[in-house]
Amino acid sequence: MAEGEFYRAASPREAAGLLAQHGGAARVLAGGTDLMVAVNKRKFKPQVLIYLGDAGMSGISQEGDALLIGAATPLNEILASPLVADKAPLLATAIKQMASPAIRNAGTIGGNLANASPAADTATPLLVLGASLKLVGAKGEREVPLAEFFTGPGQSVLAADEIIAQVKVPAQSAEAKWAYRKVGKRKAQSLSVVSVAVYCPLSGGKVSGVAIALGAVAPTPLLATEAAGLLNGKALDEATIAAAAKAAAEATSPIDDARGTAWYRKRASEAVVKQLLTELAG
Amino acid sequence: MSKVIGQRVTRYDGMSHVTGETKFVDDQVVPGTLTVKALRSPVSKGKIKNLDISAAAKMPGVAGIITAADVPCNAFGLVPDQPVLVSEDIRYRGEAIAAVAAVDEDAAMEALEKIGLDIQEQQAVLDPLESMKEGAPQVRPEGNLQMWDGHDYRQVNLGDVDQAFEQADEIVESTHLHPSVEHAPMEPICSLAVPHAGPKLTVYTVSQALYFHLGMLCGILQMEPGSVQCKQWKAKTGSAWRHNTGYADVNYIGGTVGGGFGGKNDIMADHVAALLALKTGRPCKWRWTRAEDLLYSTFRGAWHITIKDAVTKQGRIIGRQMTSIRDAGAYASLNPYVVEKHCYLGAGPYFIPNVRVRGYCVYTNKPPASSMRGFGITPAAFATEVQLDKIADRLGMDPWEVRLTNAFRKGEYTPTKRVLNSVAMIEVLQNLAAKAGVELPGHLKAMASTQERG
Amino acid sequence: MHTLELTVNGQTCRVEVGLKTTLLEVLRDKLYITSPKVGCNTGDCGTCSVLLDGVLVRSCITNALSVQGKSVTTLEGITEPGDIHPLQKAFHEHYGSQCGFCTPGMILASKALLDVNPSPTRDEVKQALSGNLCRCTGYVKIIDSVLAAADEMKS
Repeated sequence: MAEGEFYRAASPREAAGLLAQHGGAARVLAGGTDLMVAVNKRKFKPQVLIYLGDAGMSGISQEGDALLIGAATPLNEILASPLVADKAPLLATAIKQMASPAIRNAGTIGGNLANASPAADTATPLLVLGASLKLVGAKGEREVPLAEFFTGPGQSVLAADEIIAQVKVPAQSAEAKWAYRKVGKRKAQSLSVVSVAVYCPLSGGKVSGVAIALGAVAPTPLLATEAAGLLNGKALDEATIAAAAKAAAEATSPIDDARGTAWYRKRASEAVVKQLLTELAG
Repeated sequence: MSKVIGQRVTRYDGMSHVTGETKFVDDQVVPGTLTVKALRSPVSKGKIKNLDISAAAKMPGVAGIITAADVPCNAFGLVPDQPVLVSEDIRYRGEAIAAVAAVDEDAAMEALEKIGLDIQEQQAVLDPLESMKEGAPQVRPEGNLQMWDGHDYRQVNLGDVDQAFEQADEIVESTHLHPSVEHAPMEPICSLAVPHAGPKLTVYTVSQALYFHLGMLCGILQMEPGSVQCKQWKAKTGSAWRHNTGYADVNYIGGTVGGGFGGKNDIMADHVAALLALKTGRPCKWRWTRAEDLLYSTFRGAWHITIKDAVTKQGRIIGRQMTSIRDAGAYASLNPYVVEKHCYLGAGPYFIPNVRVRGYCVYTNKPPASSMRGFGITPAAFATEVQLDKIADRLGMDPWEVRLTNAFRKGEYTPTKRVLNSVAMIEVLQNLAAKAGVELPGHLKAMASTQERG
Repeated sequence: MHTLELTVNGQTCRVEVGLKTTLLEVLRDKLYITSPKVGCNTGDCGTCSVLLDGVLVRSCITNALSVQGKSVTTLEGITEPGDIHPLQKAFHEHYGSQCGFCTPGMILASKALLDVNPSPTRDEVKQALSGNLCRCTGYVKIIDSVLAAADEMKS
């Protein structure tokens, strides 16, 4: 039986170098909450694993007006962070509804994003907050806005020799309103059927720079820019909210799956966006 | 003072549960145990044209493979109509065709991939209403409907239902669909069979029906392949489990069940583990994956229930006609018994003097359904209670009043004429109302099970 | 094969594992510690829960090689001879365990909660146990047991 190789990368750069060295045979491992499920289901047989737990990629700090979250930081550590509670409560709210405590203790923010699931629950809050990712490759590093990261279900701009090293989250404005809602089959341990994050900065009673993101209703987590555009500079009255909710639903292109139908997802998208905006207006 | 009544009594096995000392089947450690995996049918109905295990048998780590040819008596169950492994006719997707015992899971799974399987797929029937129709694809050679004493249904008759409908002020009819339900116990199906010289066997089982399954298991293991006595005896008794020899050869160890709820009332793994243990001479463990357990273990079958009640203006149900169709899946399992019990108790805890309940047990190309909590009574209760609400609606009556008006009283009898001398349905409802904060009107509060019906 | 060294219930262990070996397989198949159960192998049911450096994880989807040098606690590890943990006592006395299959994971998930929050509300207990499934109890008795243990540990 093939032994396989297991590496403990000491830095993101070393991990990227190992990826380059082993070509397509290598995979990175952090919490393992996605990878090991695939292994146990025999969907994937690891040949080379590069472990990121010792690569100095865990931890949360502040840089100017932004939070820097190491990609290998477990979700529960982000949830427990006073810094995140203060600067990005929207992200903490979303994480609290993810999976279950044991999964959040192992699963990482980088893994959630790198897996590029349309239902990735950290993606919607991070999209509306304008987060960006530091990608480290064998030859160098680059910063990519999260809005440009996802390219399809399970697909992203991540090159074969690149890993996500860090997530940069601009701090929420203290005056901004925000809301998050996840619709799942049950409260805990449930993949999103629809999730919506709304970030709504205010200026003189009018909204400006509002952002709406939807999860699990398109091939990638979705920024509903057109819907947001209908809100900017306006008061959040009933007609404006209804128009924005409609536009958000129109931007979705959901699928039927075991968790919900496309029909349901489209309607739920409209309803949840409407609910959240109405709450913010109230 | 009673030692038990009114006292808190802890579970006899509670302490070993909370310390983790309880040994479930999967926790039994026997050195050298082989891992068992099964080749399951990818189609709902078909004929096996060719099954070739020669390449798989040569795979590294493989200790033994069994097919239908290795099963001494390849028909078991209450009826018995179910093969341990399919010899020719596949009747549901996921039905086991062959089983491999290997040194580890990888070796067993890789061997399964090397088994040559050529199936001629056939038109399956998945809907029981379709399966009942003339000309529907045949699920079993015995027919798509379970037979009882020459009838393709079970029926319970009480009084004169037709006359009740003539006397009725209102006739209320409703149809109820009850979906199938999986028990999903935390412990998946698992069996460990350990061979000893003799040949004798120790089998660790998750069975909820140990003695019942011991008989079945001995029946499966004992007979010579295709023997005349096996066939004759089956034809004579209609049963493969009353066979009384061989019990001393199987040490059947059970009683520690990680949740059952009726989902471990059928042999699902012990026969295959035992056959492989006898064939390889080594301990064999077959632990189903969660996916196998959800897809292929028994479950509460779906029901299609129609109730027609003859009702008076006062809310008394004087007659009931009920037709229930049970989606049994491909094999009998405990389905016929479930349907019978459904019929006996189709009227619910209410005194209806004229009753005709007809239950059909219909076979379809799906995994066999079986028992789950209540053996068919639960869906009958569901349909009955929804129907009572509909009656209340139609008459403009309080649903509590409809129930209390019809509830059993002392000395009344069930559709099978079982006289009830100890009943408390009225008192239960009154208590329930009090706990739910519902203030019943005086005449309902004054009712009692011991009062004779006026 | 790779050599893995870890501490299990206070004891240092060295085992040989492959690239896809899980922590659950190490515990059950190599060390014969059977309180963590194989329930789903996909991280959904919680029967395999253990504490890893004091933190609740799913051993069935924890890659064995990722726990190199770490400390694992199973239900066996919180049971002292003749002296059970207040959670074990409470689960026994308050009927928090029926078939027993989810019990090891339930007690460890509860311990992970009480270790950081000795006075949880009912809702916090629910949240903490939200990843551990039980099919027998309906959860009420389990939550009662955890709250009773918390009370006992404070007094």
